[in-house]
Amino acid sequence: MNTGNRHRPGWRRRVGLVVAALALAFVVLAPLTSIDAAQQAGLPLLTDKLWFRIATTVAMFVVLASGWNIIGGLTGYASFGNIAFFGLGAYTVGVLVADRGWPFALALLVAPVVAAAFALIVGLPLLRLRGHYFAVATLGVGVAVGEVINNTGQLGASTGLFLPIVRSDLAFFYLMLSAAAVAVLTTWIILRTRFGYGLLAIRENEEAAAVIGVNTTLYKVAAFCIAAALTGLAGGIFAQWSSFINQENVFAISDNVQMILMAVVGGAGTVLGPVAGAVALELIIQTLAGGGTSAVYSQVGLGVLLAACVIFIPRGVIDFFGGRSRLSLRYFRQTLRETSA
Amino acid sequence: MTLLTVRELGKRFGGVNALAGVSFGVEEGDVLGIIGPNGAGKTTLLNCISGLYRPDAGDIQWEAASISGMAPYRIARLGIGRTFQIVRPFPSMTVRENTAIGALFGRPDRRLQPGAALAEADDVLELVGLGEKRHYPVLRLTVPDRKRLEVARALAMRPRLLLLDEVMAGLNDVEVEQALQMVRRVRERGMTIVLIEHVMKVIVGICNRALVLNFGRTLVEGPPNEVLKDKRVIEAYLGQRYARDQEPKAYPPPEGEGNKQG
Repeated sequence: MNTGNRHRPGWRRRVGLVVAALALAFVVLAPLTSIDAAQQAGLPLLTDKLWFRIATTVAMFVVLASGWNIIGGLTGYASFGNIAFFGLGAYTVGVLVADRGWPFALALLVAPVVAAAFALIVGLPLLRLRGHYFAVATLGVGVAVGEVINNTGQLGASTGLFLPIVRSDLAFFYLMLSAAAVAVLTTWIILRTRFGYGLLAIRENEEAAAVIGVNTTLYKVAAFCIAAALTGLAGGIFAQWSSFINQENVFAISDNVQMILMAVVGGAGTVLGPVAGAVALELIIQTLAGGGTSAVYSQVGLGVLLAACVIFIPRGVIDFFGGRSRLSLRYFRQTLRETSA
Repeated sequence: MTLLTVRELGKRFGGVNALAGVSFGVEEGDVLGIIGPNGAGKTTLLNCISGLYRPDAGDIQWEAASISGMAPYRIARLGIGRTFQIVRPFPSMTVRENTAIGALFGRPDRRLQPGAALAEADDVLELVGLGEKRHYPVLRLTVPDRKRLEVARALAMRPRLLLLDEVMAGLNDVEVEQALQMVRRVRERGMTIVLIEHVMKVIVGICNRALVLNFGRTLVEGPPNEVLKDKRVIEAYLGQRYARDQEPKAYPPPEGEGNKQG
């Protein structure tokens, strides 16, 4: 709907698509230059260790922002507890690989299942709450799960879990990129089905949706579980990638805030908005935080950016590529009116 | 055949008895008008029937099976569509998409896919007179058009019973006349309708039966013309003194604001 009713794609949309396609081609192909065979053939090395670290992180946040978008953007339930799904996915892989000796590939399949199951259990009661109440309750869940794990001896308590180190920048990058593709594709499919229309109806007016025949409880919980599965998948990959997990690096509330910022800044409720937001914001964060002592500016910069986006482009940066001219003064005035209403 | 039976329905909010024993039946093909002063329990009654409220007492039956306390979406799929007095559109969608949601989810029989639902929405929009505005975003619609959209969305469900909650409220005379024609067109398709209305012209014009609620109870039920002349109805709207003075020619003015004479 937000994405589907653009009748005449304008030049800006076309330029956007071309740039995005070129960027995607570079991101997918460039890492191949780091393979030994390519190096021996004399190709220039386009990607170093830092490139892989940043690119994999960006891909990870594409998954997180897209996952959040399904419950927050499409269904209208702003979850501050998605980080719990990330942490649970990470710890599922952590426990199965480090303690039980499972192969990583097998453990990774279990991670989304555990996250989705947890979403089902907490979603049934929590999705009865709306607005701020839902946000606060999920925030509580996010913090609580982290604390429980932090105090459970079998899970390494505050020491954390150490996984056998696997050194392959290339493999983890492509794995995370595939997860991002799955997340985007899932959103795209949802928006084209009856299910997606139901979620949007719930977001727009839940009671009206209910008396029209939308099984609101089922749909909300299903959306929450799908979001959780995607987020848990990213968490599982992260666990093996970083080979060390503890409460601080997989249950960070700041990461939850970040995925929301990315989805909102990019364009909540759209397919590509969270992608644009994740790429743009993560690159800005990396740039701002690059100077060591200037890390504090990273936070200030993010705050200013969020305020500016919410005021001037409440529908997200992806909206610039919608076809009609959105860079005009008239458009800014209109959105200002809408947001201040 | 009796579609809907309401028996001794009761609903309390704290110490207020919004409904205190309402009973009536709706036959197939009926157009039942429900009137009553503000706060009489009309909207509460509709909310109980459509499942948004769980009744505290009594029973609601759909074709002789109880639907009391059933989830709203299941009641909707049984074939009961409704509109809201204060319109509740899906604001970021177009008129057509709003209507398509009704076709997508309200049907008991088959599952439509979005494409087919959008096509069906067009038919319904023609019927309510929104055909030319189907690609409008909802926020561009006027109040009367938003009320039409409420009706369109409910009709897209192909309900067997349509509950209309004050679709004429807030409209001027010309708009009321247009809305009246719309409801007539819907009735001509054989739809069974229960409508809440303050505009008496509507009750007399299209209903074959009228039900008057007061303080959560059934005051009078019968053919519209007789009901509106009933002394108890005039009392409820305008107070006992007015009813005494006006006998026997009385006809209550349309906008009942409670007891003006105290």
